[in-house]
Amino acid sequence: MTLTGGPMATGVPKYPSDLRGRPRRDRLMSSLEAVVSVYQRISAYSGRRRRPVTPVSRDRELVVDRMRTEAEDVVSLRLTAPDGATLPAWRPGAHLDVVLPSGCVRQYSLCGDTADTRAYRIAVRRLPGGTGSGEVHEELRPGSRVTVRGPRNAFPLAPARSYLFVAGGIGITPILPMVRAAAARGADWQLVYTGRTTASMPFIDELTRIDPRRVWIRPDTEYGIPASGAELLERAPEGAAAYCCGPTPMITSLRVDRPASRVRSLHFERFGPPPISDGAPFEIELARSGRVLPVPADHSALDVVREAVPDVAYSCRQGHCGTCAVGLISGTVEHRDRVLPEPERENTMMICVSRATGRVVVDL
Amino acid sequence: MAADNEVEPGEEQLVLHPRAVRFDWSNLPLHWVPGDPQTTHTINVLHLLLPEGERWFVRVFKQALPLIADERLRTDVLGFIGQEALHAEAHSGVADHLAAHGLDASPFTRQVEWMFRRLLGDRDLHGKAAEEWLVERLAIIAAIEHFTAFLGQWILDASGLDAAGADPTMLDLLRWHGAEEVEHRSVAYDLFCHLDGRYTRRTRAMSIVAPVMLWLFVRGTRFLMCNDPQLGGRDKARLRQLRAASARGTLPTLRGMLGEVRPYFTRSFHPSQYGSTERAIAYLASSPAAQAAEAQQ
Ligand code: FES
Ligand SMILES: [Fe+2]
Ligand SMILES: [Fe+2]
Repeated sequence: MTLTGGPMATGVPKYPSDLRGRPRRDRLMSSLEAVVSVYQRISAYSGRRRRPVTPVSRDRELVVDRMRTEAEDVVSLRLTAPDGATLPAWRPGAHLDVVLPSGCVRQYSLCGDTADTRAYRIAVRRLPGGTGSGEVHEELRPGSRVTVRGPRNAFPLAPARSYLFVAGGIGITPILPMVRAAAARGADWQLVYTGRTTASMPFIDELTRIDPRRVWIRPDTEYGIPASGAELLERAPEGAAAYCCGPTPMITSLRVDRPASRVRSLHFERFGPPPISDGAPFEIELARSGRVLPVPADHSALDVVREAVPDVAYSCRQGHCGTCAVGLISGTVEHRDRVLPEPERENTMMICVSRATGRVVVDL
Repeated sequence: MAADNEVEPGEEQLVLHPRAVRFDWSNLPLHWVPGDPQTTHTINVLHLLLPEGERWFVRVFKQALPLIADERLRTDVLGFIGQEALHAEAHSGVADHLAAHGLDASPFTRQVEWMFRRLLGDRDLHGKAAEEWLVERLAIIAAIEHFTAFLGQWILDASGLDAAGADPTMLDLLRWHGAEEVEHRSVAYDLFCHLDGRYTRRTRAMSIVAPVMLWLFVRGTRFLMCNDPQLGGRDKARLRQLRAASARGTLPTLRGMLGEVRPYFTRSFHPSQYGSTERAIAYLASSPAAQAAEAQQ
């Protein structure tokens, strides 16, 4: 038995037969048909007094209460409400969207104390050429106002008996509150904290104060660049849940070596889709408006379409959920998704990952 | 069943993301709760309803996107859509597998298709009427999601199924799905409230959804029991068996399910008051399928 058509099909089926194949209308189906047609009429009536949708803004204005240099090129900001009011509670792994004075939005993990309900702390490393981080370092001062959204949590800490935390450099920010939570719960935990030099690694004192025996500060200057994930996984307690944040090569090495280690599960934060490494530029034409949008090599078609059509639907942005499917009118598509069945490749494109040569025309 | 759990601070901040799980059903026995075809088939009804039902959620939610004037809600809706789309695919994999055991469920699934595509489809409406029908369907989805959240929480805690030796891969599918239902349990409700929110509209949807769901489960279970080639029509679905299964903890109690409707009729109802996000996160952190999906990304 297969449902005709699979994930993309919306074809209208015929009136179904009775469950036992008797030549009469099915009782449930015909009752439902009657109920729904009355219901639909009631719904039209309800619409007359439906209030218009009220736009909701979740922007919150905060003040930079304090700025501190935590390490070379790293400052922390303590953010409070202008009137000192309490702020929404949060859990380890949460981040804030910060709208900088220039309008650019950056996500920063909360790295303060979850028990402090009057202030959020974030820490920012100045990246060479980084527009957001440069702005934080140069333009923000105590007393500056910033707009924030959130907190939201894309990296929740699940309860476990034992943990291994692995942080690389500024990746310590989401990990720090996790370490505190694990210690407070009385879990068995270990932290491996890597970085170039101790001078470049923020919060070393704060961490060692939690429990010096469980914290391994591992600067490259002393131990060399980590040779493998295995080295970082070595200290894991048996059956540990590992929570990691750091540069991509570090995460990759942990993933490679995890199966042979004592770590049972590996968790890391995802920041949107993985970067596009082997893309070539192409053009996408939106048939309904006739607009032609260039898609640069390092952007997805979805990135570009979203600017022009804000209501375009998408979800995973990795080619596995099928949400971003659009009708393909013409063009040669290089399908990179994992959902589209072969027969539908002719007339559908998953714009989050698939690319094209030349110009594609889509039904948008 | 709906214990008044405290809303944990920060729970509602979870960012939803779809997990690209894969399951292999080639070794799944037809009666995956050993020796208990009725429990097996009652739960199997989900595999027949959800593929079409959840694809319908996705289509309706996509249509609602242009009406949303709340960026955070939009983000949640997008996360919800991807999760439901993948739920649909995962369940349809099992439905296909039933056929491999000689159980042809197509008379039932054809009805389900017709219900979700035709009856609850766009009904050739335009303009204002189309928009109201959309909002009405969002109220229906919010009501259905109340049950999926309840069932999700139930399956996470259903140690009776482990004790009965239920197939571990099937349990993982049900619990991964259940956990995501718990994770996103507020989204459909919040979306309906954003666009309308009126008590009468919300509760009248529930008054239709609850009996129809019950009817679908009863007839689905009976249908599967009748057509199960290994039972040869001897064994019929019985209320007595359902009671026994509830007592063993392999199915939720009928009373628990019906009792679930009541809080939905209180004015201050909000889905976040029921179920535990913490529990869902804990399961997803250890689920073999969810872990394998994360490891691949
Ligand atoms: S957004 Fe999921 S497949 Fe494109
Ligand atoms: Fe679902
Ligand atoms: Fe759901």
